[in-house]
Amino acid sequence: MPNLFTLVLQITVILAVCRLTGSLFRKFHQPRVVGEMFAGIMLGPSLLGWISPQFSAYLFPPASLGFLNALSQVGVVIFMFLVGLGINPKELKHQSHAAVLVSHVSITAPFVLASLLALYLYPRVSDASVSFTNFALFMGAAMSITAFPVLARILIEGEMMQTRLGTVAIACAAVDDVTGWCILAYIVVLIRAAHDTASIWITLGGILLFVVIMIYGVRFLLQGLERTFQRYGEISENRMAFLLLLALASALCTERLGIHLLFGSFLMGAIMPKEPKFVRYILDRFETITITLLLPLFFAFTGLRTNVGLLKGPTMWFYCGLIILVATGGKLGGSTIAGWLSGMPLREAAGLGTLMNTRGLMELVILNIGLDIKVISPALFSMMVLMALFTTFMTTPLLDYICPDRILRPELTKIPSQDAQLAGSMMKSTGGSAA
Amino acid sequence: MSASNRKFVLAYLLLVILPLIGLVGILRAGRTVTAPVSIDGLWSLRVDSAQIDSLPCGKALAAIPDKTMAIMQSGKTFVVTIPGGPNLTAAGTLEGTTLRAALVPARESRESCAVGSELSLLASVDRRVDSNVLTGTLSAPNCQSCASVGFQAERQAPPTSKGGH
Repeated sequence: MPNLFTLVLQITVILAVCRLTGSLFRKFHQPRVVGEMFAGIMLGPSLLGWISPQFSAYLFPPASLGFLNALSQVGVVIFMFLVGLGINPKELKHQSHAAVLVSHVSITAPFVLASLLALYLYPRVSDASVSFTNFALFMGAAMSITAFPVLARILIEGEMMQTRLGTVAIACAAVDDVTGWCILAYIVVLIRAAHDTASIWITLGGILLFVVIMIYGVRFLLQGLERTFQRYGEISENRMAFLLLLALASALCTERLGIHLLFGSFLMGAIMPKEPKFVRYILDRFETITITLLLPLFFAFTGLRTNVGLLKGPTMWFYCGLIILVATGGKLGGSTIAGWLSGMPLREAAGLGTLMNTRGLMELVILNIGLDIKVISPALFSMMVLMALFTTFMTTPLLDYICPDRILRPELTKIPSQDAQLAGSMMKSTGGSAA
Repeated sequence: MSASNRKFVLAYLLLVILPLIGLVGILRAGRTVTAPVSIDGLWSLRVDSAQIDSLPCGKALAAIPDKTMAIMQSGKTFVVTIPGGPNLTAAGTLEGTTLRAALVPARESRESCAVGSELSLLASVDRRVDSNVLTGTLSAPNCQSCASVGFQAERQAPPTSKGGH
Protein backbone atom coordinates (compact mmCIF):
# COMPACT_ATOMS: atom_id res chain seq x y z
CA MET A 1 0.00 0.00 0.00
CA PRO A 2 1.30 3.49 -0.74
CA ASN A 3 2.12 5.75 2.15
CA LEU A 4 -0.76 8.17 1.61
CA PHE A 5 0.84 10.94 3.67
CA THR A 6 3.97 10.85 1.48
CA LEU A 7 1.95 10.73 -1.74
CA VAL A 8 -0.31 13.65 -0.79
CA LEU A 9 2.71 15.63 0.45
CA GLN A 10 4.47 14.98 -2.87
CA ILE A 11 1.43 16.10 -4.89
CA THR A 12 1.05 19.25 -2.76
CA VAL A 13 4.70 20.25 -3.13
CA ILE A 14 4.74 19.46 -6.88
CA LEU A 15 1.57 21.47 -7.58
CA ALA A 16 2.79 24.44 -5.53
CA VAL A 17 6.23 24.53 -7.16
CA CYS A 18 4.83 24.00 -10.67
CA ARG A 19 2.19 26.74 -10.32
CA LEU A 20 4.70 29.21 -8.86
CA THR A 21 7.38 28.52 -11.46
CA GLY A 22 4.80 28.50 -14.27
CA SER A 23 3.51 31.93 -13.15
CA LEU A 24 7.05 33.27 -12.90
CA PHE A 25 7.82 32.13 -16.44
CA ARG A 26 4.60 33.72 -17.70
CA LYS A 27 5.99 37.06 -16.47
CA PHE A 28 8.89 36.53 -18.89
CA HIS A 29 6.46 35.88 -21.78
CA GLN A 30 7.11 32.14 -21.70
CA PRO A 31 4.34 29.55 -21.90
CA ARG A 32 3.48 28.19 -18.45
CA VAL A 33 4.52 24.70 -19.57
CA VAL A 34 8.17 25.78 -19.83
CA GLY A 35 8.07 26.87 -16.19
CA GLU A 36 6.41 23.62 -15.16
CA MET A 37 9.03 21.56 -17.02
CA PHE A 38 11.72 23.60 -15.26
CA ALA A 39 9.98 23.08 -11.90
CA GLY A 40 10.09 19.31 -12.44
CA ILE A 41 13.85 19.43 -12.96
CA MET A 42 14.26 21.64 -9.85
CA LEU A 43 12.50 19.01 -7.72
CA GLY A 44 14.78 16.23 -8.95
CA PRO A 45 18.37 15.25 -8.18
CA SER A 46 19.65 18.09 -10.38
CA LEU A 47 18.73 20.77 -7.81
CA LEU A 48 16.77 19.67 -4.71
CA GLY A 49 18.63 16.36 -4.47
CA TRP A 50 21.91 18.19 -4.87
CA ILE A 51 21.22 21.01 -2.40
CA SER A 52 19.45 18.92 0.24
CA PRO A 53 19.76 15.17 -0.36
CA GLN A 54 18.14 14.41 3.03
CA PHE A 55 15.00 16.46 2.34
CA SER A 56 14.85 15.06 -1.20
CA ALA A 57 15.06 11.50 0.17
CA TYR A 58 12.32 12.34 2.71
CA LEU A 59 10.03 13.89 0.10
CA PHE A 60 10.68 11.38 -2.69
CA PRO A 61 11.70 8.06 -1.10
CA PRO A 62 12.48 5.56 -3.90
CA ALA A 63 9.73 3.19 -2.72
CA SER A 64 7.08 5.87 -3.27
CA LEU A 65 8.01 6.77 -6.83
CA GLY A 66 6.03 3.90 -8.36
CA PHE A 67 2.76 5.45 -7.18
CA LEU A 68 3.75 8.90 -8.37
CA ASN A 69 4.70 7.43 -11.73
CA ALA A 70 1.39 5.55 -12.02
CA LEU A 71 -0.60 8.73 -11.38
CA SER A 72 1.50 10.74 -13.82
CA GLN A 73 1.13 8.07 -16.52
CA VAL A 74 -2.67 8.15 -16.18
CA GLY A 75 -2.41 11.90 -16.74
CA VAL A 76 -0.26 11.46 -19.86
CA VAL A 77 -2.67 8.81 -21.24
CA ILE A 78 -5.56 11.29 -20.96
CA PHE A 79 -3.38 14.11 -22.25
CA MET A 80 -2.45 12.12 -25.36
CA PHE A 81 -6.16 11.51 -25.94
CA LEU A 82 -6.65 15.29 -25.84
CA VAL A 83 -3.71 15.84 -28.22
CA GLY A 84 -5.23 13.34 -30.65
CA LEU A 85 -8.56 15.10 -30.27
CA GLY A 86 -6.95 18.38 -31.36
CA ILE A 87 -5.62 16.86 -34.57
CA ASN A 88 -7.90 16.66 -37.57
CA PRO A 89 -6.79 13.93 -40.02
CA LYS A 90 -9.08 15.32 -42.77
CA GLU A 91 -7.30 18.64 -42.61
CA LEU A 92 -3.96 16.95 -43.17
CA LYS A 93 -5.14 15.65 -46.54
CA HIS A 94 -5.75 19.14 -47.94
CA GLN A 95 -2.51 20.90 -47.24
CA SER A 96 -0.83 23.42 -49.49
CA HIS A 97 2.48 22.59 -51.16
CA ALA A 98 4.19 24.76 -48.54
CA ALA A 99 2.72 22.81 -45.64
CA VAL A 100 3.48 19.43 -47.24
CA LEU A 101 7.08 20.36 -47.98
CA VAL A 102 7.72 22.03 -44.61
CA SER A 103 6.13 19.23 -42.60
CA HIS A 104 8.04 16.50 -44.43
CA VAL A 105 11.36 18.37 -44.36
CA SER A 106 10.86 19.23 -40.68
CA ILE A 107 10.78 15.48 -40.04
CA THR A 108 13.47 14.24 -42.43
CA ALA A 109 16.08 16.97 -41.78
CA PRO A 110 16.30 16.51 -37.97
CA PHE A 111 15.85 12.75 -38.39
CA VAL A 112 18.80 12.37 -40.76
CA LEU A 113 20.99 14.81 -38.79
CA ALA A 114 20.15 12.99 -35.56
CA SER A 115 21.10 9.67 -37.14
CA LEU A 116 24.36 11.20 -38.28
CA LEU A 117 24.95 12.44 -34.73
CA ALA A 118 24.11 8.93 -33.49
CA LEU A 119 27.20 7.65 -35.34
CA TYR A 120 29.26 9.89 -33.05
CA LEU A 121 27.28 9.45 -29.82
CA TYR A 122 26.59 5.69 -29.97
CA PRO A 123 30.10 4.60 -28.91
CA ARG A 124 30.19 7.34 -26.28
CA VAL A 125 26.84 7.44 -24.46
CA SER A 126 25.22 4.10 -25.32
CA ASP A 127 26.21 0.50 -24.71
CA ALA A 128 26.40 -2.78 -26.60
CA SER A 129 22.98 -4.02 -25.46
CA VAL A 130 21.34 -1.41 -27.72
CA SER A 131 21.71 -1.85 -31.48
CA PHE A 132 22.88 1.13 -33.52
CA THR A 133 19.76 1.00 -35.71
CA ASN A 134 17.41 1.27 -32.72
CA PHE A 135 19.55 3.98 -31.16
CA ALA A 136 19.70 6.04 -34.36
CA LEU A 137 15.99 5.63 -35.15
CA PHE A 138 15.04 6.65 -31.63
CA MET A 139 17.31 9.71 -31.74
CA GLY A 140 15.75 10.63 -35.09
CA ALA A 141 12.18 10.28 -33.84
CA ALA A 142 12.95 12.19 -30.63
CA MET A 143 14.53 15.09 -32.49
CA SER A 144 11.88 15.34 -35.20
CA ILE A 145 8.88 15.74 -32.89
CA THR A 146 7.10 19.09 -32.54
CA ALA A 147 4.96 19.94 -29.52
CA PHE A 148 1.59 20.51 -31.18
CA PRO A 149 -0.15 21.75 -27.98
CA VAL A 150 2.68 24.13 -26.95
CA LEU A 151 2.81 25.47 -30.47
CA ALA A 152 -0.95 26.10 -30.39
CA ARG A 153 -0.53 27.89 -27.05
CA ILE A 154 2.24 30.15 -28.39
CA LEU A 155 0.23 30.96 -31.52
CA ILE A 156 -2.88 31.84 -29.47
CA GLU A 157 -0.94 33.98 -26.99
CA GLY A 158 0.79 35.79 -29.85
CA GLU A 159 -2.53 36.14 -31.73
CA MET A 160 -0.95 34.40 -34.71
CA MET A 161 -3.41 31.54 -35.11
CA GLN A 162 -5.08 33.23 -38.08
CA THR A 163 -1.93 34.28 -39.89
CA ARG A 164 -0.48 32.30 -42.78
CA LEU A 165 2.45 31.44 -40.50
CA GLY A 166 0.07 30.14 -37.83
CA THR A 167 -2.04 27.98 -40.12
CA VAL A 168 0.98 26.43 -41.88
CA ALA A 169 2.77 25.85 -38.54
CA ILE A 170 -0.20 24.15 -36.88
CA ALA A 171 -0.82 21.88 -39.90
CA CYS A 172 2.88 20.95 -40.07
CA ALA A 173 3.01 20.26 -36.31
CA ALA A 174 0.00 17.96 -36.64
CA VAL A 175 1.70 16.01 -39.47
CA ASP A 176 4.94 15.88 -37.46
CA ASP A 177 3.20 14.52 -34.39
CA VAL A 178 1.29 11.82 -36.28
CA THR A 179 4.42 10.79 -38.23
CA GLY A 180 6.65 10.98 -35.17
CA TRP A 181 4.34 8.73 -33.16
CA CYS A 182 4.08 6.22 -36.03
CA ILE A 183 7.89 6.04 -36.27
CA LEU A 184 8.19 5.69 -32.51
CA ALA A 185 5.56 2.93 -32.45
CA TYR A 186 7.59 1.07 -35.08
CA ILE A 187 10.79 1.47 -33.05
CA VAL A 188 9.10 0.24 -29.86
CA VAL A 189 7.80 -2.81 -31.75
CA LEU A 190 11.30 -3.49 -33.12
CA ILE A 191 12.86 -3.23 -29.69
CA ARG A 192 10.26 -5.17 -27.75
CA ALA A 193 10.14 -7.96 -30.34
CA ALA A 194 13.91 -8.11 -30.79
CA HIS A 195 15.35 -11.51 -31.74
CA ASP A 196 11.95 -12.76 -32.90
CA THR A 197 10.99 -11.94 -36.50
CA ALA A 198 7.68 -13.81 -36.26
CA SER A 199 6.75 -11.75 -33.20
CA ILE A 200 7.37 -8.50 -35.14
CA TRP A 201 5.00 -9.56 -37.92
CA ILE A 202 2.35 -10.72 -35.46
CA THR A 203 2.62 -7.40 -33.62
CA LEU A 204 2.48 -5.34 -36.83
CA GLY A 205 -0.50 -7.39 -38.08
CA GLY A 206 -2.24 -6.94 -34.73
CA ILE A 207 -1.65 -3.19 -34.79
CA LEU A 208 -3.00 -2.93 -38.35
CA LEU A 209 -6.12 -4.87 -37.39
CA PHE A 210 -6.57 -2.71 -34.31
CA VAL A 211 -6.29 0.52 -36.34
CA VAL A 212 -8.85 -0.80 -38.87
CA ILE A 213 -11.27 -1.70 -36.04
CA MET A 214 -10.78 1.73 -34.47
CA ILE A 215 -11.32 3.64 -37.72
CA TYR A 216 -14.22 1.63 -39.13
CA GLY A 217 -15.84 0.30 -35.94
CA VAL A 218 -15.22 2.46 -32.89
CA ARG A 219 -15.41 5.66 -34.92
CA PHE A 220 -18.97 4.73 -35.89
CA LEU A 221 -19.88 4.53 -32.17
CA LEU A 222 -18.26 7.89 -31.57
CA GLN A 223 -20.27 9.50 -34.35
CA GLY A 224 -23.35 8.39 -32.41
CA LEU A 225 -22.01 10.33 -29.42
CA GLU A 226 -21.57 13.41 -31.56
CA ARG A 227 -25.15 13.09 -32.87
CA THR A 228 -26.42 12.87 -29.26
CA PHE A 229 -24.48 16.03 -28.42
CA GLN A 230 -25.90 17.86 -31.43
CA ARG A 231 -29.46 16.83 -30.46
CA TYR A 232 -29.34 17.62 -26.72
CA GLY A 233 -26.39 20.01 -26.44
CA GLU A 234 -24.77 17.76 -23.83
CA ILE A 235 -23.67 14.19 -23.18
CA SER A 236 -24.83 12.18 -20.18
CA GLU A 237 -22.37 11.12 -17.49
CA ASN A 238 -22.80 7.50 -18.53
CA ARG A 239 -21.79 8.30 -22.10
CA MET A 240 -18.79 10.33 -20.88
CA ALA A 241 -17.74 7.38 -18.73
CA PHE A 242 -18.15 5.15 -21.80
CA LEU A 243 -15.90 7.50 -23.79
CA LEU A 244 -13.25 7.39 -21.07
CA LEU A 245 -13.53 3.62 -20.97
CA LEU A 246 -13.00 3.44 -24.73
CA ALA A 247 -9.89 5.64 -24.45
CA LEU A 248 -8.47 3.48 -21.66
CA ALA A 249 -9.38 0.24 -23.47
CA SER A 250 -7.67 1.54 -26.61
CA ALA A 251 -4.57 2.36 -24.53
CA LEU A 252 -4.60 -1.12 -23.00
CA CYS A 253 -4.91 -2.72 -26.46
CA THR A 254 -1.82 -0.95 -27.82
CA GLU A 255 0.13 -1.80 -24.67
CA ARG A 256 -0.92 -5.43 -25.05
CA LEU A 257 0.00 -5.34 -28.75
CA GLY A 258 3.54 -4.47 -27.72
CA ILE A 259 3.71 -0.75 -28.46
CA HIS A 260 2.72 1.60 -25.64
CA LEU A 261 -0.36 2.78 -23.77
CA LEU A 262 0.01 6.27 -25.18
CA PHE A 263 -0.42 5.24 -28.83
CA GLY A 264 -3.86 3.85 -28.09
CA SER A 265 -5.11 6.94 -26.31
CA PHE A 266 -3.63 9.19 -29.05
CA LEU A 267 -5.36 7.12 -31.77
CA MET A 268 -8.65 7.25 -29.86
CA GLY A 269 -8.43 11.05 -29.77
CA ALA A 270 -7.44 11.23 -33.44
CA ILE A 271 -10.51 9.25 -34.63
CA MET A 272 -12.98 11.28 -32.56
CA PRO A 273 -15.47 13.45 -34.53
CA LYS A 274 -13.99 16.90 -35.03
CA GLU A 275 -16.96 19.26 -34.89
CA PRO A 276 -15.43 22.20 -32.93
CA LYS A 277 -18.29 22.57 -30.36
CA PHE A 278 -18.24 18.84 -29.65
CA VAL A 279 -14.46 18.88 -29.27
CA ARG A 280 -14.68 21.87 -26.94
CA TYR A 281 -17.33 20.10 -24.83
CA ILE A 282 -15.18 16.97 -24.44
CA LEU A 283 -12.07 19.02 -23.69
CA ASP A 284 -13.88 20.99 -20.98
CA ARG A 285 -14.63 17.76 -19.16
CA PHE A 286 -11.13 16.33 -19.25
CA GLU A 287 -8.69 19.19 -19.59
CA THR A 288 -8.63 21.04 -16.28
CA ILE A 289 -7.90 18.11 -13.97
CA THR A 290 -5.39 16.65 -16.45
CA ILE A 291 -3.45 19.83 -17.01
CA THR A 292 -3.57 21.33 -13.53
CA LEU A 293 -3.17 18.15 -11.49
CA LEU A 294 -1.85 15.18 -13.42
CA LEU A 295 0.63 16.72 -15.89
CA PRO A 296 2.66 18.51 -13.18
CA LEU A 297 3.15 15.06 -11.63
CA PHE A 298 4.56 13.90 -14.95
CA PHE A 299 6.92 16.89 -15.05
CA ALA A 300 8.05 16.10 -11.52
CA PHE A 301 8.55 12.43 -12.31
CA THR A 302 10.56 13.35 -15.41
CA GLY A 303 12.58 15.76 -13.27
CA LEU A 304 13.28 13.00 -10.75
CA ARG A 305 14.74 10.92 -13.59
CA THR A 306 16.76 13.84 -14.95
CA ASN A 307 20.14 14.21 -13.30
CA VAL A 308 22.22 17.03 -14.66
CA GLY A 309 24.95 15.78 -12.29
CA LEU A 310 25.49 12.88 -14.70
CA LEU A 311 26.90 15.35 -17.22
CA LYS A 312 30.33 15.35 -15.64
CA GLY A 313 33.11 17.28 -17.30
CA PRO A 314 33.32 19.39 -20.44
CA THR A 315 33.04 16.35 -22.74
CA MET A 316 29.51 15.49 -21.60
CA TRP A 317 28.46 19.15 -21.85
CA PHE A 318 29.95 19.20 -25.33
CA TYR A 319 27.71 16.24 -26.28
CA CYS A 320 24.75 18.10 -24.79
CA GLY A 321 25.59 21.23 -26.79
CA LEU A 322 25.96 19.15 -29.92
CA ILE A 323 22.52 17.61 -29.38
CA ILE A 324 20.95 21.05 -28.98
CA LEU A 325 22.79 22.31 -32.07
CA VAL A 326 21.76 19.37 -34.24
CA ALA A 327 18.16 19.39 -32.98
CA THR A 328 17.84 23.11 -33.65
CA GLY A 329 19.74 23.02 -36.94
CA GLY A 330 17.64 20.17 -38.28
CA LYS A 331 14.26 21.43 -37.21
CA LEU A 332 14.66 25.20 -37.39
CA GLY A 333 17.08 25.15 -40.33
CA GLY A 334 15.23 22.48 -42.31
CA SER A 335 11.81 24.10 -41.86
CA THR A 336 13.17 27.56 -42.70
CA ILE A 337 14.74 26.38 -45.95
CA ALA A 338 11.61 24.43 -46.91
CA GLY A 339 9.36 27.39 -46.12
CA TRP A 340 11.56 29.75 -48.11
CA LEU A 341 11.69 27.38 -51.10
CA SER A 342 7.88 27.16 -50.92
CA GLY A 343 7.65 30.89 -51.54
CA MET A 344 7.48 32.33 -48.02
CA PRO A 345 9.50 35.48 -47.30
CA LEU A 346 12.74 34.53 -45.50
CA ARG A 347 11.77 36.08 -42.14
CA GLU A 348 8.41 34.39 -42.14
CA ALA A 349 10.04 31.08 -43.10
CA ALA A 350 12.48 31.55 -40.21
CA GLY A 351 9.52 32.23 -37.92
CA LEU A 352 7.96 28.98 -39.10
CA GLY A 353 11.24 27.16 -38.42
CA THR A 354 11.35 28.66 -34.92
CA LEU A 355 7.82 27.46 -34.19
CA MET A 356 8.53 23.96 -35.51
CA ASN A 357 11.57 23.78 -33.20
CA THR A 358 9.23 23.80 -30.16
CA ARG A 359 9.35 20.39 -28.50
CA GLY A 360 7.93 20.84 -25.02
CA LEU A 361 6.02 18.10 -23.28
CA MET A 362 5.80 15.80 -26.33
CA GLU A 363 9.57 15.43 -26.25
CA LEU A 364 9.48 14.53 -22.55
CA VAL A 365 6.83 11.87 -23.25
CA ILE A 366 8.99 10.30 -25.97
CA LEU A 367 12.16 10.49 -23.87
CA ASN A 368 10.47 8.76 -20.95
CA ILE A 369 9.44 5.93 -23.29
CA GLY A 370 13.05 5.73 -24.52
CA LEU A 371 14.39 5.52 -20.98
CA ASP A 372 11.76 2.92 -20.02
CA ILE A 373 12.71 0.63 -22.90
CA LYS A 374 16.36 1.48 -22.16
CA VAL A 375 17.24 2.57 -25.69
CA ILE A 376 18.80 5.71 -24.20
CA SER A 377 21.05 5.94 -21.16
CA PRO A 378 20.27 8.13 -18.11
CA ALA A 379 22.93 10.68 -19.10
CA LEU A 380 21.61 10.93 -22.66
CA PHE A 381 18.08 11.25 -21.25
CA SER A 382 19.23 14.23 -19.17
CA MET A 383 20.91 15.83 -22.19
CA MET A 384 17.77 15.38 -24.30
CA VAL A 385 15.56 16.84 -21.53
CA LEU A 386 17.83 19.90 -21.47
CA MET A 387 17.51 20.09 -25.26
CA ALA A 388 13.69 19.97 -24.97
CA LEU A 389 13.75 22.75 -22.38
CA PHE A 390 16.18 24.88 -24.37
CA THR A 391 14.35 24.57 -27.71
CA THR A 392 10.97 25.29 -26.09
CA PHE A 393 12.36 28.19 -24.07
CA MET A 394 13.98 29.85 -27.08
CA THR A 395 10.81 29.82 -29.21
CA THR A 396 8.98 32.88 -27.89
CA PRO A 397 11.90 35.36 -27.70
CA LEU A 398 13.32 34.21 -31.03
CA LEU A 399 9.92 34.46 -32.68
CA ASP A 400 9.40 37.97 -31.27
CA TYR A 401 12.77 38.94 -32.73
CA ILE A 402 12.37 37.30 -36.14
CA CYS A 403 8.68 37.89 -36.74
CA PRO A 404 7.42 41.03 -35.03
CA ASP A 405 3.72 41.89 -35.48
CA ARG A 406 4.32 44.27 -38.40
CA ILE A 407 5.63 41.39 -40.48
CA LEU A 408 2.81 38.99 -39.69
CA ARG A 409 -0.27 41.20 -39.80
CA PRO A 410 -0.36 41.81 -43.57
CA GLU A 411 -0.49 38.05 -44.00
CA LEU A 412 -3.70 37.55 -42.03
CA THR A 413 -5.87 34.98 -43.76
CA LYS A 414 -9.62 35.32 -43.81
CA ILE A 415 -10.53 31.82 -42.62
CA PRO A 416 -8.34 29.82 -40.30
CA SER A 417 -7.96 26.12 -41.03
CA GLN A 418 -10.08 23.66 -39.08
CA ASP A 419 -6.93 22.38 -37.40
CA ALA A 420 -6.19 25.89 -36.16
CA GLN A 421 -9.76 26.27 -34.90
CA LEU A 422 -9.54 22.94 -33.08
CA ALA A 423 -6.15 23.70 -31.61
CA GLY A 424 -7.43 27.11 -30.53
CA SER A 425 -10.48 25.48 -29.03
CA MET A 426 -8.26 22.98 -27.27
CA MET A 427 -6.25 25.59 -25.46
CA LYS A 428 -8.62 28.48 -24.75
CA SER A 429 -10.08 27.44 -21.44
CA THR A 430 -6.89 26.34 -19.72
CA GLY A 431 -5.69 29.78 -18.75
CA GLY A 432 -2.37 29.36 -20.41
CA SER A 433 -1.48 26.17 -18.62
CA ALA A 434 -1.83 23.82 -21.57
CA ALA A 435 1.19 21.75 -22.27
CA MET B 1 3.24 20.40 -64.96
CA SER B 2 3.21 24.05 -63.87
CA ALA B 3 6.37 25.87 -62.84
CA SER B 4 5.33 25.92 -59.18
CA ASN B 5 4.63 22.18 -59.24
CA ARG B 6 8.02 21.53 -60.86
CA LYS B 7 9.69 23.61 -58.18
CA PHE B 8 7.81 21.70 -55.49
CA VAL B 9 8.81 18.28 -56.91
CA LEU B 10 12.44 19.37 -57.22
CA ALA B 11 12.51 20.73 -53.66
CA TYR B 12 10.82 17.56 -52.38
CA LEU B 13 13.37 15.33 -54.10
CA LEU B 14 16.25 17.42 -52.79
CA LEU B 15 15.06 17.95 -49.22
CA VAL B 16 13.08 14.79 -48.48
CA ILE B 17 13.93 11.87 -50.78
CA LEU B 18 17.68 12.48 -50.96
CA PRO B 19 18.10 12.73 -47.15
CA LEU B 20 16.06 9.54 -46.75
CA ILE B 21 18.48 7.73 -49.07
CA GLY B 22 21.27 9.19 -46.96
CA LEU B 23 19.57 7.79 -43.86
CA VAL B 24 19.78 4.28 -45.29
CA GLY B 25 23.51 4.82 -45.82
CA ILE B 26 23.95 6.10 -42.25
CA LEU B 27 22.13 3.09 -40.79
CA ARG B 28 24.34 0.76 -42.83
CA ALA B 29 27.50 2.59 -41.77
CA GLY B 30 26.35 2.37 -38.15
CA ARG B 31 26.52 -1.42 -38.19
CA THR B 32 30.30 -1.18 -38.00
CA VAL B 33 30.27 1.16 -34.99
CA THR B 34 30.71 -0.57 -31.64
CA ALA B 35 29.47 0.66 -28.27
CA PRO B 36 31.00 -0.02 -24.85
CA VAL B 37 30.25 -3.37 -23.24
CA SER B 38 27.01 -3.37 -21.23
CA ILE B 39 27.37 -3.35 -17.44
CA ASP B 40 24.03 -1.75 -16.58
CA GLY B 41 21.84 -3.55 -14.05
CA LEU B 42 21.78 -5.23 -10.66
CA TRP B 43 24.75 -7.37 -9.70
CA SER B 44 24.90 -9.95 -6.89
CA LEU B 45 28.16 -9.54 -4.99
CA ARG B 46 30.19 -12.49 -3.73
CA VAL B 47 32.77 -11.29 -1.25
CA ASP B 48 34.51 -12.73 1.81
CA SER B 49 32.72 -11.08 4.78
CA ALA B 50 35.72 -11.55 7.08
CA GLN B 51 38.06 -9.80 4.65
CA ILE B 52 35.74 -6.93 3.82
CA ASP B 53 35.38 -6.13 7.53
CA SER B 54 38.94 -4.82 7.47
CA LEU B 55 38.10 -2.09 4.94
CA PRO B 56 36.65 1.33 5.79
CA CYS B 57 32.85 1.02 5.37
CA GLY B 58 33.47 -2.73 5.38
CA LYS B 59 31.14 -3.42 8.32
CA ALA B 60 28.34 -1.52 6.63
CA LEU B 61 28.97 -3.39 3.37
CA ALA B 62 29.11 -6.79 5.11
CA ALA B 63 25.78 -6.05 6.82
CA ILE B 64 23.83 -5.68 3.54
CA PRO B 65 21.33 -8.57 3.51
CA ASP B 66 21.27 -9.46 -0.22
CA LYS B 67 24.65 -7.94 -1.20
CA THR B 68 23.58 -6.33 -4.44
CA MET B 69 25.20 -3.52 -6.35
CA ALA B 70 23.30 -1.43 -8.91
CA ILE B 71 25.17 -0.03 -11.89
CA MET B 72 23.57 2.73 -13.94
CA GLN B 73 25.55 3.01 -17.16
CA SER B 74 25.75 5.89 -19.62
CA GLY B 75 28.23 4.82 -22.27
CA LYS B 76 31.74 4.87 -20.86
CA THR B 77 30.65 6.32 -17.51
CA PHE B 78 28.59 4.72 -14.79
CA VAL B 79 27.23 5.29 -11.30
CA VAL B 80 27.26 2.60 -8.60
CA THR B 81 24.72 2.46 -5.78
CA ILE B 82 24.35 -0.16 -3.08
CA PRO B 83 20.63 -0.66 -2.36
CA GLY B 84 20.10 -1.10 1.38
CA GLY B 85 23.78 -0.42 2.00
CA PRO B 86 25.83 2.57 3.09
CA ASN B 87 25.08 5.85 1.37
CA LEU B 88 27.97 6.01 -1.10
CA THR B 89 28.28 8.18 -4.15
CA ALA B 90 30.26 6.29 -6.71
CA ALA B 91 31.04 7.42 -10.21
CA GLY B 92 33.30 5.48 -12.48
CA THR B 93 34.59 4.98 -15.98
CA LEU B 94 34.71 2.01 -18.28
CA GLU B 95 37.72 1.45 -20.53
CA GLY B 96 37.34 -1.59 -22.73
CA THR B 97 36.32 -4.23 -20.22
CA THR B 98 37.88 -2.54 -17.18
CA LEU B 99 35.77 -0.66 -14.65
CA ARG B 100 37.27 1.94 -12.32
CA ALA B 101 35.22 3.71 -9.66
CA ALA B 102 35.74 5.67 -6.47
CA LEU B 103 33.13 4.98 -3.79
CA VAL B 104 32.87 8.05 -1.55
CA PRO B 105 30.60 8.10 1.54
CA ALA B 106 27.91 10.77 1.30
CA ARG B 107 27.93 13.72 3.72
CA GLU B 108 25.15 12.31 5.88
CA SER B 109 26.68 8.85 6.23
CA ARG B 110 26.87 7.27 9.65
CA GLU B 111 30.15 6.78 11.52
CA SER B 112 30.49 3.18 10.33
CA CYS B 113 31.08 4.65 6.90
CA ALA B 114 32.52 8.06 7.69
CA VAL B 115 33.55 10.82 5.33
CA GLY B 116 37.12 10.32 4.14
CA SER B 117 36.89 6.53 4.07
CA GLU B 118 36.97 6.30 0.29
CA LEU B 119 36.95 2.93 -1.44
CA SER B 120 38.36 2.16 -4.83
CA LEU B 121 36.76 -0.37 -7.15
CA LEU B 122 38.73 -1.99 -9.96
CA ALA B 123 37.06 -4.75 -11.90
CA SER B 124 36.84 -6.34 -15.29
CA VAL B 125 33.85 -7.70 -17.08
CA ASP B 126 34.09 -11.01 -18.88
CA ARG B 127 32.99 -10.65 -22.50
CA ARG B 128 32.91 -14.41 -23.09
CA VAL B 129 29.88 -14.96 -20.88
CA ASP B 130 27.68 -12.14 -22.19
CA SER B 131 29.17 -9.62 -19.76
CA ASN B 132 27.32 -11.18 -16.86
CA VAL B 133 30.28 -11.72 -14.57
CA LEU B 134 32.43 -9.05 -12.96
CA THR B 135 35.68 -9.88 -11.21
CA GLY B 136 37.67 -7.33 -9.28
CA THR B 137 39.00 -5.85 -6.08
CA LEU B 138 37.91 -3.28 -3.50
CA SER B 139 40.69 -1.32 -1.85
CA ALA B 140 41.07 1.68 0.45
CA PRO B 141 43.54 4.20 -1.04
CA ASN B 142 43.63 6.26 2.20
CA CYS B 143 44.38 3.26 4.43
CA GLN B 144 47.96 2.00 4.30
CA SER B 145 47.31 -1.07 6.45
CA CYS B 146 44.18 -2.24 4.62
CA ALA B 147 44.60 -5.05 2.12
CA SER B 148 42.64 -5.24 -1.13
CA VAL B 149 39.61 -7.51 -1.05
CA GLY B 150 38.69 -9.56 -4.08
CA PHE B 151 35.08 -9.94 -5.18
CA GLN B 152 32.99 -11.46 -7.91
CA ALA B 153 29.61 -10.23 -9.08
CA GLU B 154 26.97 -11.82 -11.25
CA ARG B 155 24.31 -9.85 -13.12
CA GLN B 156 20.86 -10.63 -11.77
CA ALA B 157 18.76 -9.81 -14.80
CA PRO B 158 20.38 -9.65 -18.21
CA PRO B 159 19.30 -6.59 -20.20
CA THR B 160 16.77 -8.44 -22.35
CA SER B 161 14.34 -5.51 -22.49
CA LYS B 162 16.90 -3.21 -24.07
CA GLY B 163 16.97 -2.20 -27.68
CA GLY B 164 18.65 -5.39 -28.74
CA HIS B 165 20.14 -6.30 -32.08
